[in-house]
Amino acid sequence: MFIQILFGLSALLTIGCAIAVAVTKNIMHSCVFLLGSLIGIAGLYATLGADFVAVTQIMVYVGGVVILMLFAVMLTGGKDYVSKAQNLLGLAPNMGNKWTYTIGLLVSLVFILTNVKLVSSVIKANPAKTFGNEFPSTVNQLGHLLVKDHVLAFELSSVLLLGALVGAAIIARPRKQ
Amino acid sequence: MISLASYLVISLILFAAGLTVMIARKNLVAILLGIELILNAAALNFVAYSRYVTNNLDGHIFSLFIIVIAAAEAAVGLAIVIRFFQIKETVHVDEATQLRN
Repeated sequence: MFIQILFGLSALLTIGCAIAVAVTKNIMHSCVFLLGSLIGIAGLYATLGADFVAVTQIMVYVGGVVILMLFAVMLTGGKDYVSKAQNLLGLAPNMGNKWTYTIGLLVSLVFILTNVKLVSSVIKANPAKTFGNEFPSTVNQLGHLLVKDHVLAFELSSVLLLGALVGAAIIARPRKQ
Repeated sequence: MISLASYLVISLILFAAGLTVMIARKNLVAILLGIELILNAAALNFVAYSRYVTNNLDGHIFSLFIIVIAAAEAAVGLAIVIRFFQIKETVHVDEATQLRN
């Protein structure tokens, strides 16, 4: 029962904040709504029994990426370049005319139908299981997997992070006049 | 109980919201926000499938690597955006037409 309540709250938070990111005019508000959406996704991870991934999600995204985004918004002025012209629905700016909407609707219909066809067999083969309320900790198994089966990707990601660190520092350094 | 399909629907909505942000917004930082939403939709799908279909933890590993790469991508992307702002004094995406100067 607790899992269902957590799932409902997290799903509401995730979907509501994601749609708010898309429709809000202010870029700063958009960043804060992204924060809510990422916390909701961490809650969804918790309902799936992925405790380590949920904590990592909160630490990396909420503690790192969104703060970085907020700094970038503040450093670059935070203009959003909203076009004055109203479009259909009046929601998002710069979204095109009625032909854009028609073609987009058709393409998304084909996309969704194809994916439902593909996914429905997987869903039928795996009905809703009844999980207990106890979740075994996954940290131990994840640690073993990371240094046994996936050790190459683990080490390469450290090289990638070092490259990203040095690259970001070089790209954003002050200009020499 | 909660089914696999509910997680997939949430992931679909996240993906659609991220795509809308990427298309509709003209601010470079906002486009990076859309990329984060799309990456999160993919990572949520990985964890949901690993819970309901494969019953092992490989999806969790993949999701962790997605988080790592998203963090690196955000750092480099925002550095490029700030550099672009220093040069052009704007972050409108249509101004980014030249590779140098």
